[in-house]
Amino acid sequence: MQQLTPDMIMVLVMIGVAIFLFIVEWVRVDVVAILMMVALPLLHLVTPKEAFVGLSSNAVVSIIAVIIIGAGLDKTGMINKLVKPVLAIAGKSSSRIIVAVSFTVALISSFMQNIGAAALFLPAIQRISKLQKIPLSRLLMPVGFSAILGGTITLVGCSPLILLNDLLIPFNLEPFGLFDVTPIGLALVASGILCFIFLGRFILPQGDITENQENDHICALDSSDSQGTGDKCFYELTTPDDFMDYRDPVRVSNLHQRYLVSILALTEPPDFKTLSPSPDTEIRSGVDLVVWGKKKDVERMAAREDLKLKDTIECYGKEFEDANSGIVEAVVAPRSQFAGRSLGANNFNDRFRVSPLVIHRQDEVYRAKLDDIILQTGDVVSFYGTWKRLEVLHQEGGLLFSMPSDLEDMRPEKALWAGGWLVLSLVMIMGFNIQLSVALMTGALGMVLTRVLSIDEAYQSVDWRTIFLLAGLIPLGIATEKTGTAAWIAGSILYFIGDVQPIVLLTVIGILSTLFTLVISNVGATVLLVPLVVNMALAAHTDPRMAALVVGLATSNSFVLPTHQVNALYMGPGRYRTIDFIKAGSLISVIFLVVMIAMIYLFYGV
Amino acid sequence: MSIITISRGSSSMGKAVAEKVAAKLECDIFSRDLLFKTSGRFHVPQKTLEKAIHDAPGIFERYSHTKKVYLTYIRAILTEMVAGGNIVYYGLAGHLLLDKLPHVLKVRITANLDGRVKRKMTEGFSEKKARDMILADDDQRKKWSRKIYDADPNDCSLYDLTVCIDKLSVENAVDCICRCASRKAFESTSDCVRQSKDLSLAWNAKVLLVESFPDVGITCEYGNLLIYATEKEAHTTKFKKILDDIKKENYDIYNLEVHTGLPVPANAV
Repeated sequence: MQQLTPDMIMVLVMIGVAIFLFIVEWVRVDVVAILMMVALPLLHLVTPKEAFVGLSSNAVVSIIAVIIIGAGLDKTGMINKLVKPVLAIAGKSSSRIIVAVSFTVALISSFMQNIGAAALFLPAIQRISKLQKIPLSRLLMPVGFSAILGGTITLVGCSPLILLNDLLIPFNLEPFGLFDVTPIGLALVASGILCFIFLGRFILPQGDITENQENDHICALDSSDSQGTGDKCFYELTTPDDFMDYRDPVRVSNLHQRYLVSILALTEPPDFKTLSPSPDTEIRSGVDLVVWGKKKDVERMAAREDLKLKDTIECYGKEFEDANSGIVEAVVAPRSQFAGRSLGANNFNDRFRVSPLVIHRQDEVYRAKLDDIILQTGDVVSFYGTWKRLEVLHQEGGLLFSMPSDLEDMRPEKALWAGGWLVLSLVMIMGFNIQLSVALMTGALGMVLTRVLSIDEAYQSVDWRTIFLLAGLIPLGIATEKTGTAAWIAGSILYFIGDVQPIVLLTVIGILSTLFTLVISNVGATVLLVPLVVNMALAAHTDPRMAALVVGLATSNSFVLPTHQVNALYMGPGRYRTIDFIKAGSLISVIFLVVMIAMIYLFYGV
Repeated sequence: MSIITISRGSSSMGKAVAEKVAAKLECDIFSRDLLFKTSGRFHVPQKTLEKAIHDAPGIFERYSHTKKVYLTYIRAILTEMVAGGNIVYYGLAGHLLLDKLPHVLKVRITANLDGRVKRKMTEGFSEKKARDMILADDDQRKKWSRKIYDADPNDCSLYDLTVCIDKLSVENAVDCICRCASRKAFESTSDCVRQSKDLSLAWNAKVLLVESFPDVGITCEYGNLLIYATEKEAHTTKFKKILDDIKKENYDIYNLEVHTGLPVPANAV
């Protein structure tokens, strides 16, 4: 076996540092990648040119282009338009709905970032859940898993696969084509969906529609529904003429603190009507107010504060008509500017004149001290406001709204252009064998030139975290290969396990990749493992391309824990607990490995 | 309807003052009854409870949280007893145990050492023995206050009124305390009663959690109970089971929420 050199030891230390930082998350994963990008040339493990070669790599350019194309498709509202035909095909059966929606999301995910497809479809799934009265918890997990699995359908479906060809360059191995992985990806998607159809009742939480959406914590959360249930939690009250006598001033925030009801409208003398009043607003004598809350809380408040509870909404009837205002659920999107800050610091009330009512996080419902709660991706916040103000909040971005589509700022007239540029990119890749990055960037540029989205919107849509994660870890892969560390690790592993069948080796690589992706990012796992497994495969006389492909695919096998971005996003709206992911994810992970190895064996004859 | 705590060193005439204040204001009075009631409800020997409220924690107790558990029991009973108001408590550490209630009149009776020794000698001790006992007792209480509350019992800022019994007679001291208790700041308004009840609810919830989750914080406002825990704690089966027990046992709790990942506020118990 080859001797360890000082350079190899240093690379091993850097790999150890990267893995350690990925696990403990003292700094963000992209910062770890940048750290590697800077530290490796300083340690003379790569040349300065090699350190930054990731930024100009085909993988990075391809992913930028894929993100822009995805954002363009999103802007045209094409995705939302898919909901109706999908539902028409699916009918009312929950199994057929799961199949139709999951398959559609998987297909979209094969050309977009998984998280983008999942986020795009979330409001649509929420609407389907309400319309068809299927508990959200039974829809979201299959759809979320399908979004992840859909990333394996094409070579641009997920970051590890986009990266794969670049990682094969040092070995002079033939790159994979756009659709080389499609049979495996489709089989993975199909097996995942079938698993939920046949075993869903055993592995999915069996919440019911009333528990999820109309329990006593929530009241009605969507005034836009045609049942007219939206106003059942709105109550109008009047303060007595001596309300301000012999007591400390009562403010809007005081009533919420005491009775957990939200003041949505308040008359200020002489008769100035304010919707979503500021928490500091003082409540005066002889004025009308409209509140939202549980009936028993409102009655308790009325009794204790000497307020007169009216039978109907009288003074504010027009303002509280479904056509003018209502309640929407908004999910905190991935990379939202609102995440990581408390609800109070986000100041929705003053900035947008909308009132946050409740926050749902997993199976918890928060009503008290909402201002202190720090928002996380996947949190569901219910807001009340006029549709106009809610639209302003929606346009601010960062929140995924479950509201009527006519309020969304879409450019449906550009749908043909967007679809055309996507098709052109695919034709360039398949028909003219033009490199992935060039073809996709052509599609992205086309979308900007035809004003599907502006260049600023294109720049804003790029997830720089993913870009630097990819670009920063590429030099680590180069150093691992260049110093002979990959060959040394591969040799050591093979020395210990001895001669094994190719199929066994690929299975071991699959399991190793799955375990790595659970603790470090999928990109990190791919960069570290591909040079290693290629060396292992070469030494064990197995097809090194297949070994690399197993890593590229198996790093998407991230279902057991809600650590994958898609799972984290769906956890809140689906009211899932970690145990729900462990239960369903374990089974899907095993099926993933079996199907992947079987398909590689059948299609590539390993 | 006042709540008065009278803190004193041993042999400082505190008991005599407390009894006369209670008689004058027609209040209930208690001291050791607190430990008796706590012992009865939680089946912990009175001696153990007394040590918890008097002696500084030993090396092992600092890690086992036993003192924290017993103190929680005691505070749950104490807040329950004072919730109705009209109470004089002259037992140990009342000013610290009820520190979260703003309308409690916290009184400290002080006396010079020689006078205290003389009074102790009337119980049949020699001068040296009496002096040693008083100094040891003072030392233990000082350590306890410092370890548990990071406070010095002789720090007058902990009290609303400090009375030196050497210069004032017992009657003068009683008169002083009663006048002070009648001030508006110490009136037991409906808001004060509500605060007392909320505090009692918070401590009673803490009683169920403290043994397994000693670091959780609990606030209660208007019957809305908020538990501040870590995500790890909140997701355990034991925690969830205890929450169910809290809901079942405390009918006055209006709403119960667990907030995770937030710092425990200063007013939490």
